[in-house]
Amino acid sequence: MVAACEKQKLVYVLNRDAAARLTISSPLEAHKSHTITYSVTGVDCGFDNPVFAAIELDYSEADIDPTGQAAADAQKHLTFYELDLGLNHVSRKWSEPVDNGANLLVTVPGGGDGPSGVLVCAENFVIYKNQGHPDVRAVIPRRADLPAERGVLVVSAATHRQKSMFFFLLQTEYGDIFRVTLEHEGDRVTELKIKYFDTIPVTSSMSVLKTGFLFAASEFGNHALYQFQAIGEAEDVEASSATLMETEEGFQPVFFQPRGLKNLVRIDQVESLMPIMDMRVMNLFEEETPQVFTLCGRGPRSSLRILRPGLAINEMAVSQLPGTPSAVWTVKKNVNDEFDAYIVVSFVNATLVLSIGETIEEVSDSGFLDTTPSLSVSLLGDDSLMQVHPNGIRHIREDGRINEWKTPGKKTIVKVGLNRLQVVIALSGGELIYFEMDMTGQLMEVEKHEMPGDVACLDIAPVPEGRHRSRFLAVGSYDNTIRILSLDPDDCMQILSVQSVSSPPESLLLLEVQASTGGEDGADHPASVFLNAGLQNGVLFRTVVDMVTGQLSDTRSRFLGLRAPKLFSATVRGRQAMLCLSSRPWLGYIHQGHFLLTPLSYETLEYAASFSSDQCAEGVVAVAGEALRIFTIERLGETFNETVVPLRYTPRKFVLQPKRKHLIIIESDQGAFTAEEREAARKECLEAAKMGENGNANNGQQMENGGGAGDDEDDALSDEQYGYPKAESDKWVSCIRVLDPRTGNTTCLLELQENEAAFSLCTVNFHDKEYGTLLAVGTAKGLQFWPKRSLAAGFIHIYRFVEEGKSLELVHKTQVEGVPLTLCQFQGRLLAGIGSVLRLYDLGKRRLLRKCENKLFPNTIVSMHTYRDRIYVGDIQESFHYCKYRRDENQLYIFADDSVPRWLTASHHIDFDTMAGADKFGNIYFVRLPQDLSDEIEEDPTGGKIKWEQGKLNGAPNKMEEIVQFHVGDVVTCLQKASLIPGGGECVIYGTVMGSLGALLPFNSREDVDFFSHLEMHMRQEHPPLCGRDHMAFRSAYFPVKDVIDGDLCEQFPTLPPDLQRKIADELDRTPGEILKKLEDVRNKII
Amino acid sequence: MSTYGGDSWAREAHHRKRRVDDLMLSSSSSRDASSPSFKKLSNGKYACLVCPHNPILDTPLLLSVHNKGSRHIAAESRVRASELSKRNELHKRIALSDDSTGLSSSEILVQQGKSSGFHNKPLIQKTMKAILETKSNQMENPKFVVAGNKTDLGTRSSVCDSKYSPATDGIREPSRNDARESSNSNEKKLLMTVATNKMLADLHSEFSERREKELKFTSAGWKRDCHGKWYRDENVEFDSDEEDPNITLR
Repeated sequence: MVAACEKQKLVYVLNRDAAARLTISSPLEAHKSHTITYSVTGVDCGFDNPVFAAIELDYSEADIDPTGQAAADAQKHLTFYELDLGLNHVSRKWSEPVDNGANLLVTVPGGGDGPSGVLVCAENFVIYKNQGHPDVRAVIPRRADLPAERGVLVVSAATHRQKSMFFFLLQTEYGDIFRVTLEHEGDRVTELKIKYFDTIPVTSSMSVLKTGFLFAASEFGNHALYQFQAIGEAEDVEASSATLMETEEGFQPVFFQPRGLKNLVRIDQVESLMPIMDMRVMNLFEEETPQVFTLCGRGPRSSLRILRPGLAINEMAVSQLPGTPSAVWTVKKNVNDEFDAYIVVSFVNATLVLSIGETIEEVSDSGFLDTTPSLSVSLLGDDSLMQVHPNGIRHIREDGRINEWKTPGKKTIVKVGLNRLQVVIALSGGELIYFEMDMTGQLMEVEKHEMPGDVACLDIAPVPEGRHRSRFLAVGSYDNTIRILSLDPDDCMQILSVQSVSSPPESLLLLEVQASTGGEDGADHPASVFLNAGLQNGVLFRTVVDMVTGQLSDTRSRFLGLRAPKLFSATVRGRQAMLCLSSRPWLGYIHQGHFLLTPLSYETLEYAASFSSDQCAEGVVAVAGEALRIFTIERLGETFNETVVPLRYTPRKFVLQPKRKHLIIIESDQGAFTAEEREAARKECLEAAKMGENGNANNGQQMENGGGAGDDEDDALSDEQYGYPKAESDKWVSCIRVLDPRTGNTTCLLELQENEAAFSLCTVNFHDKEYGTLLAVGTAKGLQFWPKRSLAAGFIHIYRFVEEGKSLELVHKTQVEGVPLTLCQFQGRLLAGIGSVLRLYDLGKRRLLRKCENKLFPNTIVSMHTYRDRIYVGDIQESFHYCKYRRDENQLYIFADDSVPRWLTASHHIDFDTMAGADKFGNIYFVRLPQDLSDEIEEDPTGGKIKWEQGKLNGAPNKMEEIVQFHVGDVVTCLQKASLIPGGGECVIYGTVMGSLGALLPFNSREDVDFFSHLEMHMRQEHPPLCGRDHMAFRSAYFPVKDVIDGDLCEQFPTLPPDLQRKIADELDRTPGEILKKLEDVRNKII
Repeated sequence: MSTYGGDSWAREAHHRKRRVDDLMLSSSSSRDASSPSFKKLSNGKYACLVCPHNPILDTPLLLSVHNKGSRHIAAESRVRASELSKRNELHKRIALSDDSTGLSSSEILVQQGKSSGFHNKPLIQKTMKAILETKSNQMENPKFVVAGNKTDLGTRSSVCDSKYSPATDGIREPSRNDARESSNSNEKKLLMTVATNKMLADLHSEFSERREKELKFTSAGWKRDCHGKWYRDENVEFDSDEEDPNITLR
């Protein structure tokens, strides 16, 4: 049964046809007009006709009764609907009044497993109901610190069923989970027991897995996975239908004290930015790429999250070395070993060997020559080790015998390339010597080859499975070329292909991407070898090597950083991956069928090698400066890694203090206590609990861990998990915080007093005033939204920065008549949007001085941007208004507005005539004032025109044009124009309520536009969404999509089957490879 | 004109317009006498000087009609563009010669030109002459305004000399000893011009300063009544010790 909020209820019958395919019948109707449905669930009644239960409210009488008496008497009903499978008809079977606070239904197992029926979750109660069964009612226990007038509502529920038993987990709006059990004999329920289970952050849905886990999808913030430690089977239940006590005032409430997690243990969490309240892209730390600063979460789980593009790193160990190392390798003793045996570090004139065991310590019995630097150290064959140093090759056999090969004459080895069975060395002067391992485990010289000049770098592909040798050798020369040479005995050292590059190659890596046919990553990939080259100009050059001919094709290049990338092979999830060390490290790996090249959030590294030990299976050992570092790479596949700074209340907005680079954040919450009040209440509570211990028998549910652990337990009750105690809904708490983003320390925190809450802030420099940069904060006192929006007063506080910007000092505060929802500096004054009034303030001695105002805005001003003498005002319901301030008349004129009434949630100034905005229905749009209109307005020397020009129907005389329109499908809360990569073009970055970050990249060539619009068109046709919704209709949900191409859809191209890819590519006159390259290019322009 | 009927005012209006055109023609010819767009021939006809093939037109009416024609307008705009580019070129050269070393360098150039043979490079000489001329014109133009008296060509050239060749005086002295006194007097005049120039600039900056101050007061919420007195806008708030423009700007 699918029910609409009002009237409609449809019942679909699902069947399996002969081929066991699921078929859906056309719906049966069970409509009832003038009803509101609160909750619907199926009733478990075994193999009888299906029955559905719904909580309904009939408002037909309330609608026609003008006195309001009927509305006051309206009663919710629990209604059972039966689907008669024989007649194929739905009928109302049974209806009974329930509590007016009822909001949720939970199915009780029936058939042979239980008594059937439903649990009705109402305010403060859980009631068992079934047809022809008396109600069984129990009180939901309350937290002791909950104000008396607040009820307890259940917000989410999960059922756990086993053969012999079942129980329900119900979570209240405060996060407390209760375990509800039913005592029953056959169909008769005798008792309903409610026991406090645990407290976790409020969820929107919970799910109990059969394997003993609980997944909690949080309402806001990170989602979590918990493991059951116990199922709370102790006898002492808080509330039961048997102990229900009724007095004259109603049922006696039952109290409990929340405690630390006892039955659940958190195993993992999924990071979520939801909701993003404000966002800014800035490079405050002067790193290579800017950071994204986001204000996330609400209430006690709010935080400032600093996002950096790249993968997170978990540093395992850092140890100082006696000199500056130049290179590092790890080697196994045997090819079948799971873990590495040695770490070998090369210095300018020595080699250090460290053995890996419980600890890592220096050894001298490894057989490696330690008086010379090393060029390469590796495992050769199955169980012998090899060290290549400038004067020769040292081959250490498993039994300790050492074979030494010396370079002829005065030549030295400069470069080396090797795999398990083959070694190629390059001597100074450009001579290549190729060695191969023979059957006896001897290293034999096979072939020599003279290159035209010095060799810049070398690499041999790993030996393919089931072969004796790899076929390709890649040689990079200083004449800007890379050659592929054959290593086959037939045409040994013949040049197969030559590729010229833009700059001398510094490092080469032949990377084999294993074949996978419909494997775990869900896509087919033929095995292929990629030649990667790090060039001296910082570009990573990547090309496909043909497995048979050695020809190079499909070249791609990407700028990685200012230093020439050095390439190393690594292992990620058992697959070969590539580490590129440029001015920052990058990792190239396969994730879900895509090759991803992502930066690592770590410092610049000199040399690296993969590392495997029993403490860390897939790590990396690297040298940088004088230190040896061992780290692992975490959370593969993520675009950003985050640093979290917790905040006190729901963050609203933040600004940057430009000089000291501090962030100033305003936070506010409704219906909460201030920090001091909470502290006081907590103390009181503790005292009360102690009294309870001393024999106050009335308090039946004391802390179960006993009194001694009282203090510990108090600490364990983190606000983040348990939430703040709730206060009356008209009570506001708020604070202004100055935060140093580098350390994450709060240098100043001002808690606003007397029910004031901060709503807006900006930094402002008043002209010819002595203070310098000041902070303006707009607040409201006693703001109420229900039953009617009202407030005691609004204020604008002016603060001065003291102690080098670390702290704030109030200069004065000015009362205003509405909530100042937005503040902005304008020509050395303060511009404030107060309700529907735009007002210009100057700084006075004791208050702000009103200098000029415009009251012609339709509703409420929520955003302002200024540029020169223009002011771009955003109205909460009516999109943008462009204003101009005329100094000679001291007037603010609205000269243009939007013709579409948009409910603005975010805005950003793009250029002189263009604004980007987002509305609350999930659309992003750009509006632009036509060029001729803009010129006309700017060329108005007398100002007569702007003054006397009038629009029609109270609108502005000029209208803006919508140039871009796109339905995101999620409420965008912040917009910014920024570039996330150094030297990249700017794009518009947006953050949404659901915690996603997106980017809109402007095209700069018509060709690209054509290509992507065609690709999008084909994708729409060939790759319709799973549920069959039309893509175009979705992206045009409110307004027709205009001049935006859905990159998310285009990026699904690689997931199409190969023949479909080829078909689309043919229609676009390209190859699938070219399309993939193009997609990659566009992505690389953004991040 | 018959479209409007026999006794329509339109015909008369049309005649009037023609007459006005005639008059305008003569007035416009007198206005920019420096570069007239036509020439009145001895036989009473008119020749257009702007169009490249110089068409001959019988009456002023025809000329005015021709002047409104698209060909003429195109030719005119071409002429104007070429003039403009010429002027730009001139300005550029002036700007180039007028850099930090300023006058002396141009002087050296002149000297060099005289001594070490720019004789065989007439174009460069011509350009230099043109630059010098424009410069001297620039110099004297304000003088024209200030002094209000016309100076003859002789003084004009001397101004130019005294300004641009003090260092070369020595060289020229033997030949122009007698002209010394007159050049002295010219120098005085020059000083005067500089002073007046400065005064003018001061006046101008003073004016803009005053304008800026007034703007500040208007943007601070002061208004002016019809007598020029300042009063406070009743919708605007003021600080207790705010400046009063009636006193400050007196």
